[in-house]
Amino acid sequence: MIGNTPFVVCMILVALGLWALLSRRNLIKIVIGIKIIENGVNLFLVATGYVQDGIVPIYTYAPPDATMVLPTPQALTLTSIVIGLATTALMLAFAVVIHRHKKTLDGRKVTELSG
Amino acid sequence: MNLAAHAPILAIAVPLLGGFALPLWGKIHPSLRNLWLALVASLTAALTGFVAVQVLTTGVQVYTLGASSPGETLSPGGFPIRIVLTVDALSAFMGAIATLLAVVAFTYAWRYLEEEEGKTLALTLGTLLWAGMLGMAFTGDLFNLFVFFEVTSIAACGLIGYRTWTSRGPEAAFKTMVMYTVGGLFVLLAIALLYGEYGALNLAYLARLIQGTTVDRIALGLLLGGFLMKVGAVPLHMWAPDAYGEAPAQAVILLVANTQTSLYALFRILFTLYGGVADPAIGWLVVGLGMLTLVVAALMAVVQMDLGRLVAFGAVSQIGYMLLGVGVGLTVISSQPAFGLVAIQGGIFHMLNDAVAIGLLFLAVGAVEKATGNRDLGNLGGLGHDLGWTTGFFLVGSLALAGIPPLNGFASKLMIYESSFALSPILAALAILASILLLAVFVRAFQGAFLGPRLASPKPVPTAMLVAMGVLALGVLALGLFPELVVRHLVEPAAKALWEGREAYLRAVLGG
Amino acid sequence: MTLLTGEGYWSPLLWLAAAAGVVLLSLLIWSRGRKGYNRATEQDLPFLSGEKREGVHVGGGHLYWGFVEGLRPYVERLRLVHSGFVGDYVAWLVVMLAVVFLIVLLGG
Repeated sequence: MIGNTPFVVCMILVALGLWALLSRRNLIKIVIGIKIIENGVNLFLVATGYVQDGIVPIYTYAPPDATMVLPTPQALTLTSIVIGLATTALMLAFAVVIHRHKKTLDGRKVTELSG
Repeated sequence: MNLAAHAPILAIAVPLLGGFALPLWGKIHPSLRNLWLALVASLTAALTGFVAVQVLTTGVQVYTLGASSPGETLSPGGFPIRIVLTVDALSAFMGAIATLLAVVAFTYAWRYLEEEEGKTLALTLGTLLWAGMLGMAFTGDLFNLFVFFEVTSIAACGLIGYRTWTSRGPEAAFKTMVMYTVGGLFVLLAIALLYGEYGALNLAYLARLIQGTTVDRIALGLLLGGFLMKVGAVPLHMWAPDAYGEAPAQAVILLVANTQTSLYALFRILFTLYGGVADPAIGWLVVGLGMLTLVVAALMAVVQMDLGRLVAFGAVSQIGYMLLGVGVGLTVISSQPAFGLVAIQGGIFHMLNDAVAIGLLFLAVGAVEKATGNRDLGNLGGLGHDLGWTTGFFLVGSLALAGIPPLNGFASKLMIYESSFALSPILAALAILASILLLAVFVRAFQGAFLGPRLASPKPVPTAMLVAMGVLALGVLALGLFPELVVRHLVEPAAKALWEGREAYLRAVLGG
Repeated sequence: MTLLTGEGYWSPLLWLAAAAGVVLLSLLIWSRGRKGYNRATEQDLPFLSGEKREGVHVGGGHLYWGFVEGLRPYVERLRLVHSGFVGDYVAWLVVMLAVVFLIVLLGG
C-alpha cells in the first residue's frame, strides 16, 4: 500500500517549482522552475492512472483477466510532455534573445516594460 | 461521405494544416503563399459560418473523432470514450468573433508586414493561433481544451516576440509565456484531479457527474486561476499591456480574440461544467474581479505615454465589463433567471462589441506606428492632416469603446449598467466612472496624436490596411445602429446556451 | 428596432432623431451669433497664457494635466505594482489562487 504518497510528492514538486519561480531572478532558473512544476503535474497525471498490482495496458501481451493500469493518463502525459518541450524551447529562445540585447539574465533588470 | 457533418473538425483542421503549408509555398514565391492563405482563410471562414448556421437552425452539433459516424458519441458501454467536439450557440458565436478578427488581421497584414521581416512565419503563426482559437471554442473535451490552450499560447507568444531585433518584443513574449505556461499547468492539474476523481475527460459527462466535493472545488479553483490569468483579469493582467503593446498590430487583434476565447472557456467551465453546483459566491468573485479590472486598468491607462500601451490598458479594462456582466448573471441566475439572462446577454454582446472596437483601435495604432515610426504621445501630433482615414477610424473606435451613443459599445454597456445596478448601485456607478475615465484617456490620446499643427510628414497608410480598418469601423456602426437584430439572432441564443441550454448541451453528447 | 435592457430600452434610431433635433437647435443658435469672425487673420491664432504663438501643439502629455495630476497619487501606487519583473507577476498569480481557493472552498 502506498496510499496517497505519490500525490503528496507531486504536490511537493509543484510547490518547489513555484518557490523557484518566486525566489529566483535569473530567467533560466525561472524556466527551470516551470519545468519542475510541469514534471510534478505530469507525475500527478500518471499517478492518477495507477491501479494496485496493475500491468502494462497492452492487450496482446496481457494474460487473460489481468488488472491493467489506466492507459488514458499515459497518453495525456505524453501529450503534455510534448507541449512542455515546445513551451520550454520557446521560453529559452526568448531568454537567449533577451540576453543578446541586454547582456543580462537578471529578471529585475529586464524591466523595460513596466508601469 | 457527408461533408457537412464533418464541418466542425474541418474548421480546425484546415487552418492547422494550411498554416503549416504556408512556409512551403513561401519558399516558391510570396504571391503563391498569399493565394494559399486567401484560400485557407476563406475556406475556414466558410466552414465556421456553416457550422454557426447549422447550430442556430438545428441546435447543438456534436462531432466524434474516430467514430464510424460523427454522431456516435458514446462507446457501447454508454461512456464517451472518444474525443468529442460540441458546438453550441456560444461556441459558434465565439468562433465567429475569432474568424472575423482573423480575416481582418490577415487583410491588414498583407501590407503591414514587410517581406524581409519574416512575413511568412508571422502569417503561419497567425493561422495556427486561429486554429487554436477555433479548437478552444469547439472542443467538448477538457484535455483538448488544455491542448488548444497551449497551442494558442505558443502561437501567441511567437507572434508577440516576433520582432526579435527589438529588445522590448522578446521581453514581453518571455513574460507572457511564463504566465501562460504556469496558468496552463494549473489547468492541467485541475484536469488531472477531475480525471482522477471521475475517470473521464468529456465536458458533458463530467458536468453530469460533478457533485461539488472538495476535490471538485479545488479543481474549480485551479481552473479559475488558469483562465482568469489568460483572460487578463486584474491582478493577473500584467502580461497583457506588455504583450498588446509590443506585438505587431495584426497579431494584437488575434491576441484580443484569444483573450476572448479564454473568456469563453471560463464561462463554459463556470456554467456548463459547474452549472449544476452553481454558487453565488463564485458569481461575486467574478463581479469583484470585473470591477477591479475595470477601475485599475482605466486608471493605469490615464498616465500612459505610449500610444500602444495606452490602448492596451483600455483593452484590459474592457475585459472587466464582460466579467461584470456575466458575473452578475452567475450571481442571480438561479434565483431570477430573466434578470440573469439580460446580464449575461450584456456581457456576451460586449465581447463582440469590444472585439470590433478595440481591434479597430489597435489597427489604427499600428497604422500610426507604420506611418511615423513613433508611438510616443509626447512626440506625436497633427497626424489628422495627412492620415485622414486613420484619424476617423481611431475616433470611431475610441468613442465606441468609451460607450458614446449611438456606437456599439453603448448598447452592451447599457445592459451591463442596468443589470449591475439592480444587483448593487455601487457596481453601476463604478462601471460608469471607469467609462468616463476611458473617455478622458481616449480624448487625450486622440488630441495628442491626431489634432494640432502638422509636426512631421508621415508616410501614407497602404490601402489594404485601410480596408481592414474600414471593415471593423463599419462593424462598429452597424452593431451600434442595429443592436436589437444582433442581440436577437446571435447574442440571445449564445446567452441562453449557458444556462437554459445546459441540458441540451449535455443531452447532445450523452443522449437521453 | 428597440433593444430591451431589462428595466429600460435603447433605440439608436430614436436617439439619432433626437440628436438631429439638438444639432438643428444648436445650428439655429449659432447662426444668430456675431458675424465678425474672419478666417486666416489674427483671430485664428490660439491664445495660450497671454502669449501669441503660431503652430502651438498641446501634446498628449499636457492635455487634462490637472485631471491626471489629481489621480497621480493613486496611479503611482498602481504603477509600482506593475514592476515588470516576471517573478512578481507569478506572485500575483499565487495570491489570486489563494483568494480563489478561499472563496471556492469556504463560499458554499
